[in-house]
Amino acid sequence: MSASKTTGRKSLSILKDLPRITLANLRPNPGAKKEEKRRGRGVHGGGKSGRGHKGERQRGNRPRLGFEGGQAPFYLVIPKYPYNEGHSHRLQYPPLTLRRLQYLIDLGRVDTSQPIDLTQLVNCRGVTIQPLKRHYGVNLVEEGAEQFCAKVNIEVQIASESAIAAIERNGGVITTSYYDPRSLSVLIKPVPFFMTGQPIPRRMLPGEDQVKYYTDPGNRGYLADPEKIRQARLALAQKYGYVLPDISKDELCDMLAMRKGIRQIFYGLSAGWIVNMAEKKILKPTDEKLLQYYNAQ
Amino acid sequence: MLRITLVKCGRSMAHRFMSSVGGDSALPSNLRIPTNLIDVPRTKRALPLNADLPVLRRCEEDIAAHLTPKQALVESLASRDFKPVGLVDLHPDVFAVQARIDILHEVETWQRNFKRISYAKTKVRSEVRGGGRKPWNQKGSGRARHGSIRSPIWRGGGVVHGPRGPTSYYYMLPMKVRVQGLKIALSSKFTQDYLRIVDNLDIPTPDPQYLVDLVAHRHWGDSVLIVDVGEEFPENITQATANLKKISVIPAVGINVHSMLKHETLVLTLEAVKFLEKKLLWHDLRYSPIYPFKLPYTDLP
Repeated sequence: MSASKTTGRKSLSILKDLPRITLANLRPNPGAKKEEKRRGRGVHGGGKSGRGHKGERQRGNRPRLGFEGGQAPFYLVIPKYPYNEGHSHRLQYPPLTLRRLQYLIDLGRVDTSQPIDLTQLVNCRGVTIQPLKRHYGVNLVEEGAEQFCAKVNIEVQIASESAIAAIERNGGVITTSYYDPRSLSVLIKPVPFFMTGQPIPRRMLPGEDQVKYYTDPGNRGYLADPEKIRQARLALAQKYGYVLPDISKDELCDMLAMRKGIRQIFYGLSAGWIVNMAEKKILKPTDEKLLQYYNAQ
Repeated sequence: MLRITLVKCGRSMAHRFMSSVGGDSALPSNLRIPTNLIDVPRTKRALPLNADLPVLRRCEEDIAAHLTPKQALVESLASRDFKPVGLVDLHPDVFAVQARIDILHEVETWQRNFKRISYAKTKVRSEVRGGGRKPWNQKGSGRARHGSIRSPIWRGGGVVHGPRGPTSYYYMLPMKVRVQGLKIALSSKFTQDYLRIVDNLDIPTPDPQYLVDLVAHRHWGDSVLIVDVGEEFPENITQATANLKKISVIPAVGINVHSMLKHETLVLTLEAVKFLEKKLLWHDLRYSPIYPFKLPYTDLP
């Protein structure tokens, strides 16, 4: 073999002297395909054909799974206990670690000079959100909190206390906010939604189970009182033992102060507006009834 | 005994050494058959070393530092004789990728199957005409009991477990595999010296015999696939190939693994090379899709 550094070159140098690759000499890798087992065909018929001697095994009429020949089966002997009750209705929040967030920021895949919400995280291929699998957003977890050193204005759906502390220690702002499934699917894929020409929907308020989380200033919920959030920030700084940086004197103060309205899905776009991608225009409703509907809180 | 073994070992080792070093081929002798059994034996064309030929095209996409562009001769269809008009740089990530026969096989199988509809259908006992009546009484006749003359054990009865068409065999291969299949097919054509680059498809006459003579004269083999971009081909080449069965012309968007492997020689125009490199290398740079590629993206190259 002539000098060849990689396997690619090597295979090409072999190929040079082989007959032409045609439709006739293609084949899968040896061992890649498994042949179907066909019992009792050809010369192998006549006996038991590998099915053993008599009974349900030979005739293939075995009773259903769990049947124990008539005695009370195991699955009925043990009393029910609802360990997994409602498992198909539970809200799912795929995790996003602070380490991965820092990685995305370091690679320049996330722009920290803009507020980060789910659209940014999905666009940078940082997280994958599937509303049809009952995903309701991302869960910011504290893994990698020690290395985290970026100043961000981030909006997530659930955040742990240490993750909140790690963001705020670096002078950032974090909000947790709720998106109903429809708003979420609009938020994670804005372009296909804008192409449909529909008005941006109103973001729904959280359900009964989630209200408590999102009105809690300790979780930086978007429904919490801003004054209480300010106090909670100070309290958390004391608890974790860091000095809370003063945001109001920061050059990125405007960006860090940006927050969405309760009914708002995108920064700068209100509910009821239509984004025309073809003509690059934004159409706003003028009808009284529409305005009344979209502006209601 | 020991001496005999030593001698044998030494001989076989020497033989192996010679076969791995000497000779033009690294193949065992049983695989060394002429690449073309019909035509005259093919001789590998070497690039002219004292190249005063102009390089007509450089690769537009970046090439990895450890790779070098492949070079090929550019010929012209204007006359029957082979006369190189220049050189062309081919991107190694398209024309010199690792030859994976299994991927070619996968793509070829997919190409045959994904548009296949099998119309095979057999009738079950309820679909065969008649057979509603019990042929004879259950008891008393001395014959075997039967309920229908269309039962599967009767001649002319229904078929059990037969095909219940129409059946679709549609499936989609991952996009990256399909792209890799094209790259491998192009690479294998180039490596085995079945790829010709021409400057354009202008031929002096619409006579099919001219093309047939040209192909025979230049030893292009049995069948030729000519690829160009654009919706309109030159009038002469369209007329000349209209009724030829072994010389086909297709646009570059229609290039596919099956046609490339079916034809012996692949002829690309310079424009087609540019088009294919751009389209195929785009997949090395692109991000994973969030929504279909036909919708607008801002972050794709």
